[in-house]
Amino acid sequence: MSMPFIILLVLAIVLVLMYNSLVAKKNQVENIFASVDAVLKKRYDLIPNLVASVSKYMEHEKSLLEEVTKLRAEATKPNLNDANKIALDAKISSALGSIMVAVESYPELKANENVMHLQHTLHEVEEQISAARRAYNQSVTDYNNSIEMLPTSFMASLMNYRRKQVFEIVDDERKNIDVKELFS
Amino acid sequence: MKSVSELTDFYYKNLFPALEKLESDRKSLRHRIIFIAIAYTALFAVIAYALGNFYEFIIFAYIALGAIMYRFLVHDYTHEFKMSVIKPLVHAIDASLLYSSATHISEYLFEHSKLFSNPDKMSGNDYVKGQIDGINIQFSDIHAQKKNQNSKGRDTWSTIFQGLFIVADFNKHFSGETVILPDTAQSTFGNVIGHWLQTNNAARDELVKMDDPAFEKEFVVYSTDQIEARYILSHSLMKKLLDFKHKSKHSVYISFIGTNIYIAISYGKDLFEPSIFHSLLDYKVAMEYVKTLHLAIGVVEELKLNQKLWSKI
Repeated sequence: MSMPFIILLVLAIVLVLMYNSLVAKKNQVENIFASVDAVLKKRYDLIPNLVASVSKYMEHEKSLLEEVTKLRAEATKPNLNDANKIALDAKISSALGSIMVAVESYPELKANENVMHLQHTLHEVEEQISAARRAYNQSVTDYNNSIEMLPTSFMASLMNYRRKQVFEIVDDERKNIDVKELFS
Repeated sequence: MKSVSELTDFYYKNLFPALEKLESDRKSLRHRIIFIAIAYTALFAVIAYALGNFYEFIIFAYIALGAIMYRFLVHDYTHEFKMSVIKPLVHAIDASLLYSSATHISEYLFEHSKLFSNPDKMSGNDYVKGQIDGINIQFSDIHAQKKNQNSKGRDTWSTIFQGLFIVADFNKHFSGETVILPDTAQSTFGNVIGHWLQTNNAARDELVKMDDPAFEKEFVVYSTDQIEARYILSHSLMKKLLDFKHKSKHSVYISFIGTNIYIAISYGKDLFEPSIFHSLLDYKVAMEYVKTLHLAIGVVEELKLNQKLWSKI
């Protein structure tokens, strides 16, 4: 075999490997986002129940409950893009956190088995969401690294791959974890 | 649970009569061993001199017979020690725990942990089983070996794992398999090559990169499920596992399979054996027994396995 041919062959193999690794990373992000979506949906399914159980007692937080319901309606709309889903998730997390804090000041609610059950389920779902979110962020970081780092960055710009957004942990959420700790 | 210092007090106060008796046994045993060893060595030297050949065979016989004799000599003393020191120590930590000096964790559990390759020979002793705060826990000394053939076609045994093997209930539900190993590749070959090796480890599941740099530096995580691995390894558990690793001062292997957490601490020696050439009253010797037991039984508290989540109630 002649020298130029070998060089071409090696080059072709390198290009194919780069291409495949980029596609694998993109698919990994999409795959994990689908799981994130599934757990987020689990949480959305809990919201109507929660609102129905607490609304009888929570006179002063009517606006808060309305807001959560509205956000849920938005989040469950079809054809939302990933960035919107991420933004809505952050808002819902913080609104749910505020509701949980408010529950604290209603002894009737704390004694209500149904509400307690919902709260525990929500806690469990939050843990799953947190795990899914961390998995998503890691896969996005891997993806973003490979589209910005050499040598794959050239290939990525040719393939028109764009940076993806990670989930940001909102401050409110940290607070919301503390509140849940009170019940455990 | 009692603290290490309370247990040390217990060792020196409550066990003192037993230790004193064992100490005199130990001294006479030591004299006997030294005497027999000298006579035995002299005998073999004479045989070797008389035959003037077969040195390889003589050395082999010397070592093999010597090991058997040593075991025979220390057998009674070892049993006495385990029954009057290790057993009371285990019971001092929790009276409901069962202790058996001769049995060990089942081979099934060892293989089920997916931490090591399947052994051809497994031995062990000092098995402890029971419940701490409603959490089932069992552990024992384990020595797992693999059979290899050397170039001459002779069987040789290599150690897969030797140390403490702990199995306990885990407080979260999961369906996949998550394995945490010491990060040897990245510390030996550096980040880039090490990471490449880990990603392409065919014997393991998918590599999971964790978002805790300190944890990631010590361990490498493989799992069948990226999300579940992170569900199990919350930030707080990663921190606790890291603390546990530092406390144990040895390589730690952890896996989450079925409903259990498996922890293997590689001490590289048989634990809870009586010292023959050091005094049992020696602080260092005492601390080793106390600390190892405390570490193993303390797993439940240390990793907060007793804090059951809603889903598991």
